[in-house]
Parts: sequence; C-alpha cells; structure tokens
Amino acid sequence: MRLGRRTLLRAAAAATATAATACSGGERSVQVAVVWSGAELGRFREVVAGYGAPVRVVSAGNDIDAFLRARHLAGTSPDVAILPRSGLVVEYAQRGWLSELSPAASYAVPPGMADLLAADRRRYGVWVKAAHKSLFWYFRSMLPEPPATWDHLVAITRRLGARARAGIAPAPLAVGAADGWVLTDWFENVLADVTAPGYYEALARGEADWQSRPVRTALDRLAELWSIDGAFPGGPRRALLTQYEESVIQVVHHRRATMVFEGDFVDDVSTRFRRGPERPSTFRFPGARVADRPLILGGDAAVAFAGSTRGVELVRWLSDGAAFQPWLRAGGYLSPNVTVPLESYRDPVRRSLAAELRTAESVRFDLSDRLPGPFTGSDGVGIWRIMQDFFADVTDGVAAAEAVRRATGQLAAAARAAGGGR
Amino acid sequence: MTRPVLGELAVLDDVGPPRRGRAYPAAGATSALLLPALLLLGALVAWPVLRTLHASVVIDGRWVGTANFRAALAAPGTGAVVGRTLLWALVVPAVVTVLGYLLAAASRRPQEGGLVRLILVVPTALPLVVTGVTFRLLYDPDPQRGLATLLMARLTGRSAEQVPQLLGPGLVTVALMSAFVWAWVGLAVLVFRAALDAVPPSLADAVRAFGGSRRDVLWDAQWRPLLLRTVAVVFALVALGTSRTFDLILVMAPGSVRDEASVLALRVWQASGGTTTGEGAALGVIWLVAVVAGMLVAALFVRQAWPPPQDPAPAEPDQAAPRRVTRLLAVGAAVAWLVPLGVLLATSLHDPVDAAARGWWSSPPSLDSYRQLATGVELWRTLGFTLVLATVVTAAVLCIALLAAYPLAWLTGPPAQATALLLMGASVVPVQVIAGPVNEVLGVVLSSGTARGMALVHIALGIPFAVLVLRNAFADLPAEQVRAARLSGRHWWSTLRLLARHNRPAVIAVAVLEFVQVWNDLVVGLLFSGPGAVSLGLFLAGQSRGFVVNSGVLAAGSVVASILPVLLVVLARRQLVAGLVAGGVR
Repeated sequence: MRLGRRTLLRAAAAATATAATACSGGERSVQVAVVWSGAELGRFREVVAGYGAPVRVVSAGNDIDAFLRARHLAGTSPDVAILPRSGLVVEYAQRGWLSELSPAASYAVPPGMADLLAADRRRYGVWVKAAHKSLFWYFRSMLPEPPATWDHLVAITRRLGARARAGIAPAPLAVGAADGWVLTDWFENVLADVTAPGYYEALARGEADWQSRPVRTALDRLAELWSIDGAFPGGPRRALLTQYEESVIQVVHHRRATMVFEGDFVDDVSTRFRRGPERPSTFRFPGARVADRPLILGGDAAVAFAGSTRGVELVRWLSDGAAFQPWLRAGGYLSPNVTVPLESYRDPVRRSLAAELRTAESVRFDLSDRLPGPFTGSDGVGIWRIMQDFFADVTDGVAAAEAVRRATGQLAAAARAAGGGR
Repeated sequence: MTRPVLGELAVLDDVGPPRRGRAYPAAGATSALLLPALLLLGALVAWPVLRTLHASVVIDGRWVGTANFRAALAAPGTGAVVGRTLLWALVVPAVVTVLGYLLAAASRRPQEGGLVRLILVVPTALPLVVTGVTFRLLYDPDPQRGLATLLMARLTGRSAEQVPQLLGPGLVTVALMSAFVWAWVGLAVLVFRAALDAVPPSLADAVRAFGGSRRDVLWDAQWRPLLLRTVAVVFALVALGTSRTFDLILVMAPGSVRDEASVLALRVWQASGGTTTGEGAALGVIWLVAVVAGMLVAALFVRQAWPPPQDPAPAEPDQAAPRRVTRLLAVGAAVAWLVPLGVLLATSLHDPVDAAARGWWSSPPSLDSYRQLATGVELWRTLGFTLVLATVVTAAVLCIALLAAYPLAWLTGPPAQATALLLMGASVVPVQVIAGPVNEVLGVVLSSGTARGMALVHIALGIPFAVLVLRNAFADLPAEQVRAARLSGRHWWSTLRLLARHNRPAVIAVAVLEFVQVWNDLVVGLLFSGPGAVSLGLFLAGQSRGFVVNSGVLAAGSVVASILPVLLVVLARRQLVAGLVAGGVR
C-alpha cells in the first residue's frame, strides 16, 4: 500500500515534469530586451519576425541597465538583450551574467570592434547596429565650401561668428550641449584626431592618464573653437539648454545656424523638420589631416544571458547581416557588418556611410560608451557633466589653460572613482 | 465633543481617550484581519528598510561602521545637494502656507470664492510630470516658444540672450519651486478654508463687541484658537511633500543643469542605479531619517490640528465682505494660476512641428498633435494599463485597509498613538531609498519588472495612509452606531460593511486619493516597471527626453493624462476634505 502510494506520487511528479517541459520547450518565445522604441522598435520587430521561433521583443527604454539589473536581481533576466554601450557588455560578462557566443560565419566588423565585446578573450556580444558619429550636417546653399581641416573649420566659424554678431548671418554652429553625449562625441572626434591610435584605446581601457598631453591638446582645440564669440545661435548659455534635436532644428528648420555636428541619425529629425526642398548635406568631422581621418563609431550589441541556449542561437542568427534585410530596405539602419552588400542599402546616406566604414583606415569606437561605471555619463553624471562644465567654462571667458586644467582634473578623478585610469 | 472655551483647544484630540474605540470588538479573532496589511508592509516596506539600513553599514558584507556615510557626505556636491533639499523643505512650505492662508481668506465669499478655489485645486490633481511639462513649456529659454522668456525680454527691453534664464543653472531651483508652489497651494487653501469655516463666528463677534480691531479679530478669533496649528500642519505636510520633487526635476531640468537642481531624492537614485549598496544606501538612510523626523514633528501638530470632526452644519460666513484688495488678490491668483494651464492647452493644440519650432501664439492651431498621439499604439496601451493598474490597486488598498482598520479601531491611548506613528512613518518612506531590496522581494515572488510587481509596490505604499484614515474614521463613529452595527451585522464582514457605509466620505477620500496617486505616479513606474508595464507617468517622462521635438505630442499627452485625475479630485473635493478631516490626520 505504502509502496503503491509512493509509486503513484512518483508517476504524478514525472507527468507534471513532462508537461512542464513540453510547455516550456514548445511554446515559450525567446525574450529580447532592447533600447529602441518607436519606429526603431517596429523595425526590429520586423527583423525578428523572420526568425524561426517566436520572439518577444520588449522595449526597456534608455534605462536598460537599471532594468536588466533589477531583472537579474529578481532572477527573471530575458534571453537576449541589445545593449547601447560596449562597456555594459564587458561589465555584465565579468559578473558572469552572460553566455559565450559564436557568431555566424558571415559576421565581420571593422577591425578592433569585435574585441570590445570580449572579456578574458571570450566573446560575449555581437554588434547588430552601427552609428557613424563623425559627421557635420549643413545646407550647400548656406555653406558653399565646407571645411576640410580643423583650422579651416575654426576660420569659417570665426568669420561666420563675426557676421552673426553683427546680425547679418546665421550663427556658424548649432550644438545641443544640454545633452552631455553630444559634447563627448565632439571630444572623441578631436581626441581620435590628435592622439596616436594606441593612446585612445588605452584611455578607453582605463590604462592611460587623463591629465596627459594628448587629452589636453584635444581640449585645447575644443576650447579654441567653442570660445569663438558668436559661434552659437542665442549664445553659449542658450546652447547649454539646447537639446540635441533642437540643435538640428536650428539648422534644418530655422536656419539660425549653419552647421550641426552629430551622427548619421540626424536625418531622423531633419526629415521631420526640414523646410523647403533642399536636403542637408554632410562632411566628415575635420581633423589635422585631410586624408586618413579617424572615424568614430557607436553601436548596439546583442548579448545572451547565462544559461539561455535559445538566446545564444538567436544572437548567432542576428549576427548574420542578412537577418536585418527588412530594416536595410526600410532605411535608417547602418550595419556594423561589412559583408552586407552595399546594394542592399536603400537610403543613399547610409549606403555611402557603409562604404566609408569599409574603406576607413582607422575606425575608433565611441570612447564614453566604453568607460566604466558612472564615468560613462548620463544627465548630470560622469563625463557628460565634465564636458558640460568645460563647455560652460570656455564660453564664459575662463582662460583655456585653466578650463583644460579643471576638466582634466575632473576626468582623472572620475576615472579613479570608477576604478580605472590614473 | 463639547464646544471649547474661548481660545482654547477648539480642536480634535486625535487618538486620545475621547475616541470611542472601546465600542469595537476587543483584539482577538479580528486581529487576523490585520494579516494582509502586515504581510505587505512587512515584505515591501519594513524588510527593505532594514535591508537598506544594513547595506549602509557594510561593504561587500563586511561591517564598516560609518565609512559609507563619510564617503557619501565627502563626495563632491553632496553638501550642496543636502543644502538644497533643506532649502526646499523650508522655503517652499513657507511660501505655500502664506499664499494658502491669504487665498483662503480672500476667497471666502461664496460666489466667486468657490470658483477661485476650484481653479486653485485643479493643479493639485495634475501628475507632477504634467506640471513639469507645463512649466518647462512656459519657461523655455527660446523667446519664440517660452512665454516667460518673451515677456521678460519685452518688459526689460533686453534681448532674449541677456534676460535671466529661468531654466539655467542659476535659477533652475527657483523655477522648480515655482512649479511646485503652483501645484500645492490649492491643497493649502482647502485646508485653511476648512479651518476658517470651523472657527465659530461667535468668536469674531465677541472680539468685535469688545471693540477689537480687524487685527484683533485675526489674532484672537482665528490665529490663537486654530490657525497656529493649521499653519503648522500645512507647513509640515508641504515640507514632507517636497520629497516628491523628484518627478519635477526629472522632467523639467535640462540635462546640463540637473546637478544644479539635484536634491537628495535624485542623488540617491543616481547613486544606487536600481540596487541599494554602500554610499547610495547611506544617503538613503540620511534622507529616511530626515523624512521620518519631519513626520514626527508634523505628527505632534497633526494630532491636534484639525477642526472638530462632527461640526454640524457649517456656520454661515461670519465676517463682513472682504476688502477690495483681498478680493483682487483672489481674482489675480486665479488668473495667474490659469496661465500655465492655458500654455499647456495651447501648445497641445498645435501640430508637432509648429509646437517645436514656434510659439503657440504665432502659429495656427491644429489637432495634429492629438491625432499623432491617438494614432500611436503606445498612448492607448499605457492609458489602458494605467487605468487597470490604478483601479486594481485602489480596490486592493481599500479592501486591505478596511480589514486592518476594523481591529485597529479598538485601540485607544498610547497603543493607538504608536500605531498611528508607525503608519505615518511607513507612509512617508521614500521609495527610491528602498528600491533595491523591494526588487529582491519582488524577485522572490517572481514579480520583478512585471505589472503584478508594480501593483504590489503601489498597494504596499498606499496601505499605511489608507489604514490611518479609515481607522481614525472608524474610531470616530459614535459608540451607538458601532454597537448598532455590531448587533445587526451577523458576521464581522457585514458589520464591517455597515461601518464602511457610515464612513462614506473617508472611504471615498481614500479611494480617490489612492487612484489619483497611482495614476499620477512616476517614481514607482521608473523603478519597478518592465516591458508591457509602462505607466502613464513613465510614458510622458520618456517622451520628455527630447523635450522640444516632442513638445506638441507631449503637451497633448499631458492634457489627456490630466483629465481623469482632475475630474475625480474636483468632483470629490468635498468628500476629500470631509473624509480626511473625519479621519483626523492630514
């Protein structure tokens, strides 16, 4: 009798287990947490619709880090996440949250980029979307001859600034300094131009000194440009309250400024707010040299969480550039994968940028995205805040040397507090 | 309750012996009714608070004493943040109290006074996110969009570049405070109005009969008997309320001035990033101690500050008609309070491109922003979700609080006071401080990042206040009513239902406040939401990241989000005051 009951119980347990396995194996969809929202989210949903199994895409918004931490704490991590910063991938990998990945055979990204998603020589992430962050946008009708070098840019800014002060022409530069990441993008472009490649990478890895000569040179250059009187529409105080999107509007809608610097994604805002038939053109962020200019790249990376084999499979599928066909066709997408044929780009801007990605001699990855902990920056925090302070200083009449000294001091302190750098 | 003598305790002793608690069943079987409330409060408030306290004195599990506190206080900027938090807790309540009293006195005429008060009450019902959106539109540094900047430039004759920037680093805290005052004065006016109405008119007559001047009337017939304490209550409540500036700062302060606007709430949130460790926990503990201390001080006054609960019919307005100056003040305030609402509405009535690029006064109206908002799926999803969430949470809080209030109503004397203090303490715990541990608890019940988890947190946060109000309302019922209910009710639940029916204003007040609280929430959404669990506040705050480009749709969304809470509060305002006054606290 006793034996009989035990057998029964065992049988029941086995049946339950089988049912549970059947359910979870067959029906549960793969869960992907992404930073995207709005149109981008829709495009990504179209992409994963082509995957063999059902995929549930959830938008975690800009605070995906806090979201994933909470989910990890609660033991309910998704299978896959698309992260906006490579620094996060390394951080998660070091904490043992992620699965090691093996990308598809066709996965090929610009040199150096793949290493950013590795920890202890293991690959924990693959790039799925790239952003070109070395572009100026302007109207040909307002600026017939775009600058080719940094000195040329400074000269043009001086000339147009003087005219703007006299009230006879729009200001030369629109800058959305209320968003700290705009200023860090400026800084990274200049830094990549004035330093040896190794030094930029060493700073990003936290192995170099933030008070060293190359950093000071880069800041000096920015001070030279930003301190020009009349450089910004409405003045520098106003620029510090101008968000990125508004700075684009100042150029494409009001034409209150001649040029605006930012990534390939400027065309999202520009398409919505442009007036008249003229499309804005672009030129590369000017540097000391005309050729062989470094290209700053940002991007989003896919990771699979520990213990999720289905997540690993989905990431492998995503790493194949062909998976993103629907987004390539719709436009507004730049693939980090250089094996994606150029013909598959529908929008001309992205096609030429993709070509540039292949031919660029040196591609550098967004520095602030790679910095550890709070140093990476957000509103009022880290390098975002430091660059805003620097901007406020140099436009407020503080001598460049003093402003640079303050900024490098803050950078070094922040790097130390975040546990990297000297 | 006997009508007291001149100048003396014309007030309610909240939890003292006169309460008829003894008519309720003695503690015993009914104590089990406390269980749901205890379970939720224990798991989602008490335990997380203990965890935070623990986290503030350890690093990686090792006892470090005050090291975290010292590190947190020594961090650059912490001094300024603490100072600013104190400034908020002192300046804003002072302004709100003074304005609230003046406007309550000025709006005493029944005809236009009611309308003035109605206008002042509307902002109190708005989500703080919407208040933030409204004032950021009003204070936009671009004279083509920001009405305040335009007016300043016109009035001073200077160019827009030279006028002070309200959202700039120098004035951002003042700008935020002005928005907060706008949102809170209505509450103060209601409280003062209720207090003034409760002052027996015979008092003023007596003072006048003895040849007292206007000032004597104010002093002897109003201030000494009642207003002193009401002022203390309003001041303390607003001071505690300033711990909610978080939403406002997040929406209103541009990224570059966020540091200049930062207060402890924001700093704790930035330092902890979803988990609660080390310095973040230490700052949190400091803040928690400050808030609880503030609450204790407030409680001392609150205990005796409300007008008598069972004031029969309110006496007819006693004083002579207010002077012209005061009437002008009331009308002026009403107009001024309408301006931000007008700006919000006007901005929402422009298409997104015009709203972003030009002022609402210089471009043709259009419904495009609403159209764009309505054709997107997100608004409807968040509206539906928030509606369901708020309804479920309100129902749950009411049920659990009614159950808990019944056995607690029996308490009198010190145990009642201790319970009241504990509940008040629990109701002011800032959720940012305990976010990490709360998430751990939610993880245990598999609810982290889900709608269920968000609902649980809302319920746990709403229960203390609801229990407090309902318990006091129950305890205030005349003993005969309670006995009759107990005799006619066959089971405890039918007794409870009868009692709830006798306390309708308190029940309505709790329900409306809880619903509006959840509907207007941003913080809980920010800390505990997940995919598919995006609340209205979070949706709006997310859009405010690109403020200018989204301003049309954001304004339209804000208007849509405000309709329900404003309607509820305006329609239920009498019950709100009556319910809370009967509850004796707040």
